[in-house]
Amino acid sequence: MAKLHISTKINGEPTEFLCDPNDSMLDVLRGPLALTGSKEGCGSGDCGACSVMLDGRLVCSCLMLAAEAEGHEIETIEGMAEGEKLHPLQQKFLEMAALQCGICTPGVLVASKALLEKNQNPTETEVRYWLAGNLCRCTGYDKIVRAVLDTAAEMREATR
Amino acid sequence: MKAIFDEAELATMKFGVGQPVPRTEDPTLLTGQGRYTDDLNRDGQAYGVFVRSSIAHGVLNGIDLDEARAMPGVLAIYTGADLAGYGPIRCGVPLKNFDGSEMRNPMRPAFPTDKVRFVGDPIAMVVAETPDQARDAAEVVVADIDPLPAVTDARLGAADGAPLLYNETPNNVVLDYHFGDKQAVDKAFASAAHVTKLGIVNNRVIVSAMEPRSAIAEYDPADQKWTIRVGSQGAFGLRNLLAKDILQVAPEKVRVLTGNVGGSFGMKAFVYPEYPALFHAARELGRPVKWTSDRSESFLADQAGRDHEVTAELALDAEGRFLGLRITGYGNMGAYIGQVSPMMSTLNIVKNVTSVYKVPAMEVTTKCVFTNSSPVSAYRGAGRPEGNYYMERLVETAAREMGIDRVELRRRNHIQPSEIPYDTVSGLTYDSGEFTAVLDKALAFADWDGFEARKADSQARGKLRGRGIGDYLEVTAPPQNEMGGIRFEDDGTVTIITGTLDYGQGHWAPFAQVLHSKLGVPFEKVRLLQGDSDELIAGGGTGGSKSIMASGAAIVEASDKVIEAGKKIAGHLLEAAVADIEFQRGRFSIVGTDRSIGVMEIAEKLRGGVDLPDDVPQTLDVKHVHEGGPSAFPNGCHVAEVEIDPDTGVVEVVRYHMVNDFGTVVNPLLVEGQAHGGIVQGIGQALMERCVYDEDGQVLTGSYMDYAVPRAADAPFFAFGTHSVPATTNPLGAKGCGEAGCAGSLPSVMNAVVDALAEYGVRHVDMPATPEKVWRIIQDARN
Ligand code: FES
Ligand code: FES
Repeated sequence: MAKLHISTKINGEPTEFLCDPNDSMLDVLRGPLALTGSKEGCGSGDCGACSVMLDGRLVCSCLMLAAEAEGHEIETIEGMAEGEKLHPLQQKFLEMAALQCGICTPGVLVASKALLEKNQNPTETEVRYWLAGNLCRCTGYDKIVRAVLDTAAEMREATR
Repeated sequence: MKAIFDEAELATMKFGVGQPVPRTEDPTLLTGQGRYTDDLNRDGQAYGVFVRSSIAHGVLNGIDLDEARAMPGVLAIYTGADLAGYGPIRCGVPLKNFDGSEMRNPMRPAFPTDKVRFVGDPIAMVVAETPDQARDAAEVVVADIDPLPAVTDARLGAADGAPLLYNETPNNVVLDYHFGDKQAVDKAFASAAHVTKLGIVNNRVIVSAMEPRSAIAEYDPADQKWTIRVGSQGAFGLRNLLAKDILQVAPEKVRVLTGNVGGSFGMKAFVYPEYPALFHAARELGRPVKWTSDRSESFLADQAGRDHEVTAELALDAEGRFLGLRITGYGNMGAYIGQVSPMMSTLNIVKNVTSVYKVPAMEVTTKCVFTNSSPVSAYRGAGRPEGNYYMERLVETAAREMGIDRVELRRRNHIQPSEIPYDTVSGLTYDSGEFTAVLDKALAFADWDGFEARKADSQARGKLRGRGIGDYLEVTAPPQNEMGGIRFEDDGTVTIITGTLDYGQGHWAPFAQVLHSKLGVPFEKVRLLQGDSDELIAGGGTGGSKSIMASGAAIVEASDKVIEAGKKIAGHLLEAAVADIEFQRGRFSIVGTDRSIGVMEIAEKLRGGVDLPDDVPQTLDVKHVHEGGPSAFPNGCHVAEVEIDPDTGVVEVVRYHMVNDFGTVVNPLLVEGQAHGGIVQGIGQALMERCVYDEDGQVLTGSYMDYAVPRAADAPFFAFGTHSVPATTNPLGAKGCGEAGCAGSLPSVMNAVVDALAEYGVRHVDMPATPEKVWRIIQDARN
């Protein structure tokens, strides 16, 4: 099978890669691009562990063909902190220990960031339903939801 | 118990025992830098994919590999015949039948060669250059299987005439278990003023760790050494099982490396048949061989949890005092018996079912039964939540039947502080606990008395409302030796080496807190090494909520050895008699002087090379083995409130309060998270989760679209309270918290569901209380 040559931007960096037509974006991220922060929890769009942003939209990278990245921008967990400086969500998750095994966490963070970009003042219910696409077997969600609400409050405060 | 920390000093320590210290591994995990098994790749690795039976029960006549062998990229295909040289997986639980005879325990070969016994049973492994090539080839492997009738339910499996999985196991009964004094129990029931009897199903759950299982096996022919990178719950124990049972080589010829583990909950603890297959391929091909399960495989072939069915009976006198308890039932083992499979429905029920109550006589009778389903093993609590669930459902039902207030009935039967140490009917001795105080505190915390107003509010919105208590006590895992290693590294860090291993709990910070508090080494200098069997000289692993007791004690004792050695070295360096050296706040000083040297300074001097006389220790490094102490008894009381929409049957947990006694809490931030996770796994089992097989043994719940794992919208916030009574049986006074959430939530949630439905005359609802089930109950009652 002929490989496809794809030009895209990942975490702000112009990136080129070769892929098979049937490779998912997740396969390419985790394989050739060695960005293993995105995880495969199901491969069928049901768990959110593979969540990335595609042109500012939250998507499951397991359901996206790698070839679809051509000409578009992808953001992954690896692009969330600025160097050593954690994103406010990462910082809050750290302070509250809103993760346990951490395998769902990259997806949860990417999805939470997407929420806060759309809605600076979500209610508990809005956070819970927005994150309902991200399965976590460890935390019981309590600290995740609190961390997102607290971060939102702090970010609002900071921009006032 | 003697004080192990200087309390005044502890109070000043930011990273001391008791402080809510963030987790040391989190900056790595939060930035996507965690290293889980599938994130690893080895040079030259090939990929394994398993061919699994799509038939639940059948005679395996043969496997046609010709077409698959010719597929592109295929390196080899192995079947059961190729793996005959590897030892079987065997059950390690020392239980005997009622009549004293041994368990009928057919061992599990890597792959079966005679029959397939469940959908998902691995029968061959394809190894290819890429995962896709291996998958494509696996799809064209043709198994010639003559189907046989299948049975997936334990009760039906034990019935006469049921399909037989193994000729040598009549009625599929692996173990015919009995505990207790039958005569005493019969007498108690004969003299009872009231007997409450319930049939209870403890539904099968899929563990569903969010990281699917994965492993990379390698073989080094020069050293004849086998290495496997794999998620586990303890590298030492898994190494020993692989060496002894499977590879049948000396333990030092096997190395288990475990990095980050994406959840396990019991499921990744033991040997799976995939491991010998991967080892074999690695040796035959001379290449590392990697396999990562996909989610469908995990639904089919990961060890499942729970799956018991019991008749529970409680005998009470006229005042409601418990006279006797009888649990009779079945435990589903699945198609093969795993290392601990029979434990959960037998011994762990015996130990946990009497909970916080005085129960003078008890009998537990369990038939452990083979069925054509995936093997069953430990899952979050492993019998502890179930035991508590059976008891609390009995107590709640008895209260209703006898017209005694449910709180009062509990208080009346609580073991009182004055009765502790208390010897239970199961042969345990509770060392500590204030059960009535915990209950009262939880009820006040939950505003139990304000319920009617909340119920009225729910009613005004057309909802039913119920409240439930889950008064629980868990018996943590039995004692096992545990390594406490302390190593002062060349880069100035200090490594703790433990045989326990966390798969999400976050051991690093709390263990470092213990070392920091005890030895005064800077918190930020402490590293944790837990997943390399070559570094371990002992290790019971993590499981049964015991890690903080076992590793905590091991670190405290190892620290004492460091201090002992440090005093001798300091004596030499400070030119003073060892008897005059005292240790405090990380420093060795000559009594009555201001001359001292810190533990880290000594380590630095040793690194730099100092000449020490022969009678002075040459190092501060310690490899200590802690001999396990008795189980601890974490306990508490959870109070749940649910709302039910009578038109849809949807149950929502709307309020949740708890008070827990975890003894000394090393890191409250983490302990609270453990409670949350356990509670939601319990809510999942109570309201949503059930692994369903059809009559042919096909799994109907084989994906997240068919099997409901709780999502963020399915859980409420939790209110966490504490009533700590330190354990007297371990140096920290800790009690363990990992499984307690589940033990509190199963009963509190289900008692609340039944309470909400009581107005329809409902006496019991089996888990999971799905909308359909609840809606039908309401419809039936209305008609
Ligand atoms: S891996 Fe993409 S949604 Fe689960
Ligand atoms: S932290 Fe383990 S799955 Fe979410």
